[in-house]
Amino acid sequence: MQDRTGTAVGKPIQRIDAVEKAAGTVRYIDDYTLPGLAHAKLVKSSYAHAKINSIDSTEAWKVPGVRAIITGKMFPYHIGPILADRPPLAIEKVRYYGEPVAIVVADHEHQAKRAAALVKVDYEPLQVVNSVRDAFQTGAPLVHENSGQYMKIISNVYPVQGTNIGSHIKIRKGDFIKTWEACTTKVKETYSFNLSDHVALETRSTRVEIKSSGKVIIHTTTQSPFTIKKVMNQFFNIELGNIIVHTTIVGGAFGGKGTVQLEPLAYLASKAIGGKMVKLNYEREEDLITAPCHIGVEATISLGTNKDGKIIAGQYTFLIDSGAYTDQAAGITRAMALDCTGPYNVPNVWCDSYCMYTNHPYATSFRGYAHPELTFAVERTMDQLAKKLSIDPIELRKMNTIQPGDTSPTQSVITANNIGDTLKCLERARELIQWDEGQRLEISNNKIRAKGISTFWKTSTTATNAQSGAILKFEADGSVNLNCAAIELGQGTKTILAQIIAERLKLEMNKIHITMEVNSSYDPHQWRTVASSTTFLAGRAVLAACDDAISQLKRTASIALKCSKEDLEVGGGRVYLKPNPDYGVQIKDIALGYQYPNGHAVEGQVVGHGKYIQRHLTPMDKETGFGKPGPWWSVGTQAIEVEWDTRDYTYKILKAVTVLDGGTIINPATATQQMRGGMYLGLSFASSEAFLFDEGGIVQNPQLRTYQIIRFGEQPVEYLVDFIESPAADGPYGARGIGEYGVIGMAGALANSLSAAAQVELNHLPLIPELIWKTKKEHLK
Amino acid sequence: MIPFDFEYYKPDSITEAIQTFQDIESQGKKVIYYSGGTEFITFSRINKLSADAVIDLKGIPECQVLESLGDLLVIGSAVSLNKIAKSNLFPLLGQAVKQVADHTSRNKITIGGNLHSRLIYREGVLPLLLADAQVKIAGKEGEQVLAFEDVFQQEMKLGPGQFLIQILVEKSYASYQYISIKKTKTSKVGYPVVSLAAIAKDSQIRAAFSGVCAYPFRSAQMEAALNDSSLSIEKRIEQALSRLPAPIVNDIQASREYREFVLINALEDALDALKGAIS
Repeated sequence: MQDRTGTAVGKPIQRIDAVEKAAGTVRYIDDYTLPGLAHAKLVKSSYAHAKINSIDSTEAWKVPGVRAIITGKMFPYHIGPILADRPPLAIEKVRYYGEPVAIVVADHEHQAKRAAALVKVDYEPLQVVNSVRDAFQTGAPLVHENSGQYMKIISNVYPVQGTNIGSHIKIRKGDFIKTWEACTTKVKETYSFNLSDHVALETRSTRVEIKSSGKVIIHTTTQSPFTIKKVMNQFFNIELGNIIVHTTIVGGAFGGKGTVQLEPLAYLASKAIGGKMVKLNYEREEDLITAPCHIGVEATISLGTNKDGKIIAGQYTFLIDSGAYTDQAAGITRAMALDCTGPYNVPNVWCDSYCMYTNHPYATSFRGYAHPELTFAVERTMDQLAKKLSIDPIELRKMNTIQPGDTSPTQSVITANNIGDTLKCLERARELIQWDEGQRLEISNNKIRAKGISTFWKTSTTATNAQSGAILKFEADGSVNLNCAAIELGQGTKTILAQIIAERLKLEMNKIHITMEVNSSYDPHQWRTVASSTTFLAGRAVLAACDDAISQLKRTASIALKCSKEDLEVGGGRVYLKPNPDYGVQIKDIALGYQYPNGHAVEGQVVGHGKYIQRHLTPMDKETGFGKPGPWWSVGTQAIEVEWDTRDYTYKILKAVTVLDGGTIINPATATQQMRGGMYLGLSFASSEAFLFDEGGIVQNPQLRTYQIIRFGEQPVEYLVDFIESPAADGPYGARGIGEYGVIGMAGALANSLSAAAQVELNHLPLIPELIWKTKKEHLK
Repeated sequence: MIPFDFEYYKPDSITEAIQTFQDIESQGKKVIYYSGGTEFITFSRINKLSADAVIDLKGIPECQVLESLGDLLVIGSAVSLNKIAKSNLFPLLGQAVKQVADHTSRNKITIGGNLHSRLIYREGVLPLLLADAQVKIAGKEGEQVLAFEDVFQQEMKLGPGQFLIQILVEKSYASYQYISIKKTKTSKVGYPVVSLAAIAKDSQIRAAFSGVCAYPFRSAQMEAALNDSSLSIEKRIEQALSRLPAPIVNDIQASREYREFVLINALEDALDALKGAIS
């Protein structure tokens, strides 16, 4: 681990993008327009499952300005990030309400939109698979008839031909069956929630043009510019070097902009009009249901303990509603299995995690990648187990916390270096929520105050070769420019990288220039900006680039100062002699090479480069799950205090607590804000959000009129955030990832607090007052 | 984005508006009046509404009146919900419309638009039903003043080419004790599971409801039950519920059973709030 000099790391430095955002001068992708820009609009399915008999575009062609109408016939192939099972435009049949069926390209957006409404599709309705439970039944109608023939893009995806199983991931650790018989206390419960959405403020938008040179230029709102290149190369046979992806500040992503949907459609649209630039942007309704959303889940968990309350066996069955296509849900299915126990030591684990096809909008990553969802189920089970054992919920968690020397469900060995300190997090959260005052307090006739706690862990299941690169270019004034393809999506990653550079080069923050834009042809390869991995991956790459630059600076300075490199040190905008810091040279005088008094020059510009790639990760064994899929676990504890009204079942969230061990915190202010944002997102998901389907699988609330989210003013009265900083040996200055963590425990903590308040087991989301009322009513029957 | 072209007219007098309507309609075009425009925009952009021409009523001075005139409170149809709430001219109406949509939308939504909403809620209706309001209507035969309850039969029943100019409420209604209750699924911003407005007049409760049935209403039968002082509060509510004018709505905002539960609570709250003022 690197020594800190105290220049920048650990300081609450203002975000680089703060002023422009506050001033409202940031431009997002959709804010740009150009003369001659063509516009595309989608024709979308009005059925959840139906055969396409024919598509009649006669009327649509009559709208002035229409240049092209494209159907699935133009590109009758399947694409996908894990399993290639999705045609960009439906072919033969539609599998969800809102699915793209055709694209209309016109001179103006309103013309394209009007024409899209006039494309007549003759559908023949098919039986709808409307829940994971229906999907799982033998003899259920099939969403995909030939799933066994789809191309696998990565390993660890196992579709089962002739069923609706898009993938099945198994964990078999120890001997669950035998141990289960020996358990003295057992609990088994089922949990569920529907698909929902990310609802990023910025809806998805893209512009694509195909130059006559063959270059495909893509401007888009994405977390994954290099994945777009991969997809366009893999499925559209475009040379990698000919694909240039630009992106700028992303207006919120939450995992929803990690996958690739819009860009291939806009590419097909541009191709259909001779390569002219085409813009395709989603309106909110499309962004909610046509674009990939957040998984639904039905989970059943059985936990068994010995007589001391130690968990000795756990069975976990996850039916993940991935909707019509697997997309990232296939990876989420795997992530849910590999961390299925939560941060508890369970020696005997049996887990079946199924990615289920249904006729719902398809799901992709959502901040936390399986963890908010599995943690809700695990933490509800822990509370119900504690009740059965008559043990305090925090004590039960402490007794069972996973420790160095234990193994994860995939049998990775836990070490002091690869995990945070769960016990410290629990203790600190206990203080912050004032747990010892009592979990449930009656404060007046019909008001109850109650607390709920949730502990969590998460490893980042990146690709085993996930990597990042960085280039540092020095200016003639001694300042530095960073080229790095980490995407700024509101998480503050650019500021964090600048802080790491400032710390390493011992330079002022204002000497470090970071551009928000990313251009895949100038910036080094970056896996993606997902999985809480950017501080770690890009941070290490940036450190390596700094070291390279320092070495170059010393080399040039050693010429200027006529001394050996080894005697030099870099800091404060100078390179100087260690034993005599007054003797040195300004970086600005050597940034573009050193010039002798006679005009001769040597060395040239200082250009540091660095890279980092994941080490020793492996896929998982098909039968047992054995493997090392992630580099480290960040852990934390969250807590909620609610005030619940016994008369009308409404509630107010009073306090939300996060205590996270994310290793060294590079910027305590942005980290705190990131936890608050995460809690807000998690609470919105837990308390309000869900798509509602009618019996035909049609989404009943595809608009923000009816799709409920927490509004400003409805956030917790008080947020309390604290960090335990057990440094990660591998991380930049000891940092681990923290990006997603604020979300993870919220649903569990809120459900635990409300279950305590209402004295019923609330095992389904969202936690609307009607659900509490209904559960209570059934309980009293 | 609205996917069709339409003509836009902004007349500055009532007669011009009526004339414009007739002229356009005689060309065989579909024409609509609007004021705030929030529903026109939001429904048009999802292809649930279309028109060849729109007539913006905001330029007509009579539609912008918001004042107390002699014994009457006069509220122009094109006055925004936020303006009505802020003026405190008719506090119950202000309270009721303040619960519609969100603050930004209420800067645009007008009372005329709310009364004519295509959605089932139209919460601005409730205080007007309680206050025996009158409405001034413009049409090609000229202006007429009608009882609001005659014009509002589950929805606004205006003839072709007619539009609402003003709402007239006797000033005394602004001084009665009142309560306005809105209960939603979760968020403060959302459609009502139950919205209730009530006043106490002559020791009697008057109550009107939105969100409960498929249209907003006030029911004499229900009020009779609520005012039956021979019964306990529970019995009064039970009786009132048995006299609902239509089935309780069952939709994605709330199930029928839960709505009924919320309605009972709301009625208890209303009776409790007004208990000093009713018998």
